[in-house]
Amino acid sequence: MALEIYAYQCKKCGQLHYPYRMVCKKCGKNKHNEFDPVPLPKKGKLVTFTELYTLPGDFAVATLWLGIVQLENGVAVTGQLRLPKPKIGMNVIGQVEPVRKSEFGQNLGMVFYPAK
Amino acid sequence: MREVYAIGSAMTSFSRLEYPLSEIAAYPAMFAMQDAGISKIDHLYVANMGGGRVNGQTGLASAVVDSLSLTPAGAETIENGPASGASALKQGWMAVASGLHDVVMVIGAERMREVNNLEATDFVATLTHPLAEYIYGVTLPSLAGMFTRLYMEKYGVTARHLAMVAVKNHGNACLNPFAHLHQPITVEGIIDSPEAMTNNPFVADPLRFFDCCPVSDGGACVILASAETAKKLGKPMIRLAGVGQATDTHCVHERAEPTDLLAVRGAARQAFKMAGVKPSDVDVAELHDAFTILEIVESEEVGFFKKGEGHLALERGDTALTGKLPINTSGGLKGKGHPVGATGVGQAHEIILQLRGDAGKRQVKNAKIGFTCNFGGFGNNVVCLTFIREK
Ligand SMILES: [Zn+2]
Repeated sequence: MALEIYAYQCKKCGQLHYPYRMVCKKCGKNKHNEFDPVPLPKKGKLVTFTELYTLPGDFAVATLWLGIVQLENGVAVTGQLRLPKPKIGMNVIGQVEPVRKSEFGQNLGMVFYPAK
Repeated sequence: MREVYAIGSAMTSFSRLEYPLSEIAAYPAMFAMQDAGISKIDHLYVANMGGGRVNGQTGLASAVVDSLSLTPAGAETIENGPASGASALKQGWMAVASGLHDVVMVIGAERMREVNNLEATDFVATLTHPLAEYIYGVTLPSLAGMFTRLYMEKYGVTARHLAMVAVKNHGNACLNPFAHLHQPITVEGIIDSPEAMTNNPFVADPLRFFDCCPVSDGGACVILASAETAKKLGKPMIRLAGVGQATDTHCVHERAEPTDLLAVRGAARQAFKMAGVKPSDVDVAELHDAFTILEIVESEEVGFFKKGEGHLALERGDTALTGKLPINTSGGLKGKGHPVGATGVGQAHEIILQLRGDAGKRQVKNAKIGFTCNFGGFGNNVVCLTFIREK
């Protein structure tokens, strides 16, 4: 089964949230467990990006491409980019992969590739 | 509520300091007491972000109040990220305004260079969302880089404009003996010259080395008091006339319009409203230029210039030392340095000097109204202050 990252949908008003929060940002009426997890769609558009040259110690690469992507359902996420020529507004497709390894283990997150 | 006055002010050099965090906090406190001409303090607020993590010193306020032999005065450490300093000033203002205390000492102190630059950057990156930002390698420079790219695309800000902020603030810092960097630079040298790619490499494209503030140690202290106490001291009456604070989403990606800094806008509006002045009344301002882009954007969001026109005001020279509204006369975070927890108090110190007429070679003529913007996280927690010289 493919790995998923979830958005959280308010059971009262339908608002989607990423990441998880305790109270709905739209209606403010739900209790902490009144969210339905909804898998994040994989397709989206690149909102902005950077190539980061000064990396935290956990990364064994020279530079890291980071971006914000607006997904098909309107939810925006931050992620790593594997795009040969990133450009604002381009179509991208995400995949859940290991994004950070440290002595405490590894984190999974969204990595974006060019959409075909 | 009672009116609140700044009666004493001081700072250490912002640079690399080879003494313990508690002493970085205590030195400016002693000088500020000397400046005010008082020895009795009712309460202390000590702003600090990284003592527990970077220096292994928790409960900093307790250490400092005792070191200054001010016990049994109450003392609290205030942590609000890089806006800790202005947050502590706001607490001090509340304590005096409410009548709870008469004389309150507000200190900001940070010692970041006890660790290397990578560790310092990672420490500041813990401000980001742990699961939705931090795990990807997101740091404050990377958030600033992504923000800058959008701003360039939308409003026509260029690398040259960013360099102009750095050149201006390095120039001002050269006139400030307490600044971290005393290094004059030119746009040609850091953008156009064949050496630019080596002397000004990318940090988070499109941001380069000279777009980012240095990592600094430093402390600053402002003493606040009631009008009655302030009058007795016979110093210029500098009133902390407006305090404002606002927050925004933790994750930058959750903002409806990612080029807006709504917390800056909200905090500034409150700080002006309380003081009963308009942005156009301000004579001198210290804005939180941890990255050059932020000075431009904050100058718009606080209301000095229209949205998208801050870079044009910079081009015209409006924000230069001799311009209509000098910004970051101290050198700003870019030139003066950015010991995170101390920065907000350091900004207030510069405004107090300017309003007193004590700013030496960087004095703005007849400055009567001053303003500070202290920016926490990537704009998720912002505190603005308005100061007015009364006579
Ligand atoms: Zn809801």
